[in-house]
Amino acid sequence: MPPRLILLLDEALDSTKETCIRKGDIAKKGEKLFLYKESTCYVTAPTSGTITSIAPFTGDFGENATYLVLEKDGKDEPADGISDFADVPDLAAADGALRTLPGAPPLELLAAPDSKINKIVISGMDSDLMSTTRQYLASKCMDDIKDGIERIKNMTGITDVFMAIPEKMSQLSAFQGMNTIKLTQDYIGTLPQMIMKNHMGIAPAAGTSCEDLGVCFMSIEAVLSLTRAYKEKAPVFDKIITVIGKDGGIKRVSAVIGTPIHRILTQLGLETREMDRIIIGGPLEGFSAYTLYHPVQPDMDTIILQDCEDIPGVSDYPCINCGKCVRICPAGVPVNLLVRYLEANLYQEAVDSFDLDACIDCGLCSYVCTARIPIFQYIRLGKHEQLMLEAEMETEAENA
Amino acid sequence: MHKQNKFTVSHAPFWHDGDSIGETNKNIMVAALPAIVFGVFQFGMAALGVICLAISSAMAWEALFQFISKRSIQIGDYNAAVIGMLTGMMLPATVPWWVVIVGTLVSVVLGQQVFGGIGANPFNPAVIGIAVLSVSWGTYFDFDAALLSYEFDFTALAPLGALDHQGVAATELFSTQSLLMGNQVGAIGSVFGLGLIIGGLYLILRGYIRWEISVAYIAGIIITAALFQMSNPEAYAGPMFHLFTGYTLLAVFFLAPESSSSPVNLIPMLIYGIMGGVMTILIRNIGAYADGTLYAILIINLINPVIDMIRPKALGKGVNNA
Repeated sequence: MPPRLILLLDEALDSTKETCIRKGDIAKKGEKLFLYKESTCYVTAPTSGTITSIAPFTGDFGENATYLVLEKDGKDEPADGISDFADVPDLAAADGALRTLPGAPPLELLAAPDSKINKIVISGMDSDLMSTTRQYLASKCMDDIKDGIERIKNMTGITDVFMAIPEKMSQLSAFQGMNTIKLTQDYIGTLPQMIMKNHMGIAPAAGTSCEDLGVCFMSIEAVLSLTRAYKEKAPVFDKIITVIGKDGGIKRVSAVIGTPIHRILTQLGLETREMDRIIIGGPLEGFSAYTLYHPVQPDMDTIILQDCEDIPGVSDYPCINCGKCVRICPAGVPVNLLVRYLEANLYQEAVDSFDLDACIDCGLCSYVCTARIPIFQYIRLGKHEQLMLEAEMETEAENA
Repeated sequence: MHKQNKFTVSHAPFWHDGDSIGETNKNIMVAALPAIVFGVFQFGMAALGVICLAISSAMAWEALFQFISKRSIQIGDYNAAVIGMLTGMMLPATVPWWVVIVGTLVSVVLGQQVFGGIGANPFNPAVIGIAVLSVSWGTYFDFDAALLSYEFDFTALAPLGALDHQGVAATELFSTQSLLMGNQVGAIGSVFGLGLIIGGLYLILRGYIRWEISVAYIAGIIITAALFQMSNPEAYAGPMFHLFTGYTLLAVFFLAPESSSSPVNLIPMLIYGIMGGVMTILIRNIGAYADGTLYAILIINLINPVIDMIRPKALGKGVNNA
């Protein structure tokens, strides 16, 4: 475990309010740290130590978060009531303690009083290319998986639990008796919306998420972490990560949540140069980190290093209507027309006439674009702007 | 924290399939090579001169216009080179130099740049250029007259011209095989049927043109010509004659599938292609022009935006998409 951990809190730092945690506070292992009194989101301290810094963190689209730096004191002192959750295995207790387990179990979603979830898909296959984290876990620890699935069924009362695994997996027989969904190795087939459409007979509706349709996707690592947490009666913090170097060499490491990624890279002897790219998540759907101090997150399955010379450029060419995006789009979006509207900031038209809301975020349109337009970026921006617009209209309607 | 490297931060996806506009255009030029090389063998150095002048003047016009209109100069993407090359391929080898230069001016500037440059042209730029030339200086497009000084060891008549003047009896002068092998009088890049087919297949296999358009265009030609021939074999030539003469194959593989003036959805591509074939034959058989290909392409370019609105419902839009 590194001497210094960085914990990300998904809440913006507000200078007008007094924070709960302050610089110099002592945190104990397993202690939940809230930013403000009324906060609902928390991080769990993986070890005991002192908070040495609280600072704002900016993500994609100016999304604000806060990071805490935890200086380890080496005592690993457990917090009071760290194992309370294990006494009564119910959803609320689990949500109260285990939300930040490796694999990021969607406990908040399941525990929500108005939850419409009636099916759970446990995904034993990585959704993006290159990553092997989930496939690796699916092939190990079979008993723990079964145990975890039983526990989830008991906790949630949902009996429709599916297990999505690669169809070519060697230990396929071990999953006998479970509801399995066998996936081919192609990228599109592993996307949640496509699993729903192809294997569960649920037609995704444009503008609604899988959760709205009652399907909750959960990574296999989340299941395993839950099992381990209940066995050990304490939260666990070891995350399995696939690290892919510039040469394409794949390594799998286990790291404590909060570890700055430069520690992992140094350990593996991977070096970075100026202007390289650090990709977190997969090559098609991930994001790029701007610092090597980016911490390991509960849902971070992959780190990819891309050499600065291997980075494909984007251009400011207009769409030349070659039609490759339309051919490849799994959602049937008229990308060639959509991108013209997005470039002109006409987001409402993009939703109304050109199916922006049907996009399932696979990123393939940008991957094949002959004109090298950053289409996926336009699409994400368009969706983001559209959400903001809708939220604005709602507040206006409320105020009126 | 010590000083650290700056990293490239950008949006997903982080990979690309490696294609680019320049790459596409280079491949189109490679695909046109067999037809052009044959044209040069057939018509001599004059043909090479026309092609070279067309390519270079098109690139110069594009650069000049982009400079004047204060756009970034995109000469390196070979876009103008392809337009110039196609314009040159549709000209006879003996055309005067100034016709070539005027042609590429119309192609590049009026055909594309005034609409906003690459990707914004509603019509195929090269077709615009040739259409304007053939209307303005039609005499240069009388291939029989233009190539009078040449001596060929085959029937030295432009097949479509012969058909127009002499009626269907003229088709007997040309066997399908000799048409395919380029034994005909015509424009530099349009006489060698086999070469155009090889180039077209290359583009289709590499995915640089949409095969649906080419296949539908051929189907349109064959069906319409066959119907005409069945109705009156005395008056109308057969489908193979039409397929291998004039600009037909050039249109099938190079002109009709030009990306920004053609549709991208399946059903529209089929309609577009078949319409192209149908219009070509209608103009040839009923209209006043010996070769209707140019106007057929302009007409299908015109309907492209309308028919391309026929598209499949997007995922999750099956119920209430208006």
